[in-house]
Amino acid sequence: MDAFRAAELDAVLPRLRAGDPAAQEALYRAFESPVYNLARRICRTTEDAEDVLQETFLEVFRSIGRYRGDGSLWGWIRTVASSKALMRLRRNKYRDADELDEEAAPVRREDAALRMDLEAALERLSPTARSVVWLHDVEGYTHEEIAGMMDRTASFSKSQLARAHARLRSWLGEEVIV
Amino acid sequence: MTHLSMEQLVALREPGSEPGSQAARAHIDECPACRAELDRLHQRVARLRALPPLRPARDRLPAVRAHLAADRRRRQVRWAGLGGLALAASLALFVLVTPVLAPVDGAEQALSNELLETMTRSQQLERALVAIEPEERVLDTRTATILGRLEDRLQVVDRDLQAADLLERPVRTLERLRLWRERVGLLDALVDIHVTRASYAGL
Repeated sequence: MDAFRAAELDAVLPRLRAGDPAAQEALYRAFESPVYNLARRICRTTEDAEDVLQETFLEVFRSIGRYRGDGSLWGWIRTVASSKALMRLRRNKYRDADELDEEAAPVRREDAALRMDLEAALERLSPTARSVVWLHDVEGYTHEEIAGMMDRTASFSKSQLARAHARLRSWLGEEVIV
Repeated sequence: MTHLSMEQLVALREPGSEPGSQAARAHIDECPACRAELDRLHQRVARLRALPPLRPARDRLPAVRAHLAADRRRRQVRWAGLGGLALAASLALFVLVTPVLAPVDGAEQALSNELLETMTRSQQLERALVAIEPEERVLDTRTATILGRLEDRLQVVDRDLQAADLLERPVRTLERLRLWRERVGLLDALVDIHVTRASYAGL
């Protein structure tokens, strides 16, 4: 994620810390899409994802003074966004209905023939499983980091990932592309 | 031959060596089915990473800005609130001391008593507002705008209260009472909006 190059960031950071609206807009526009994408992959609805987008940037603008530039800015914003999205999942008590979600919609034999598309298959996973898949496989978080954010163990994250891939494999009926 | 489980296949993608990963790697070298399954896994992850980014349908920047503006106003209102407390203290002193220095009639004494009651109510509402923790809530643009207007008006009332000090009695008491009543009305509306919104959103 190179939406903000180091030189640009050096120029923008002091303005962000001073609460400059133009700098805030530049930062928002640079990271609006990746933050929303991450939130939408974790949250159930577009409304929840938009709320997470709003909460994330509020938190970022309020606490930009605490960002010291040690890691990448996107890394910091992404952690804020992931925490907000997972917090919303917990608040909505999706976790309690996780297993019901997937069990309530068992895969029928003809589904394999339909070759469900990856986007739909991802959506069909339980919110917890989908969050683990996205955070690990796409965002690159380790199982330990995911466990910390979800308040669970690394083993839980590993088993969620394996189960999610087993389900995706079965729903997608994949062939190996040589 | 026993094939590798999905858990073992997923573990093979981890950078560190998981327990049993060496044996699993040896199995992959010998088993075309498991090798194909691992390839599928790699390809699935590559396809996940290549999914087109999703974009928000609505622009939330105005709502973020409205929230930040509300933060600033709230900080100013708190300072003004402290000023209000100082005003309240000085006025209480005034109410207690004035009858001694310059006797007031019964009507003015009744106004002064009502003034103290109104100020007490104002302080109760301010405490309720702080307890609601409005900074922690997501607001839509419309609500944030309404709250902004109420908070702006509150600042004007606080300034007018300080200016009212320069007036002569009994106009001063009447003007203060009018302004403190308005302050109570504004704070009441602020609390009402936050509480109604919180119960509507189930927060």
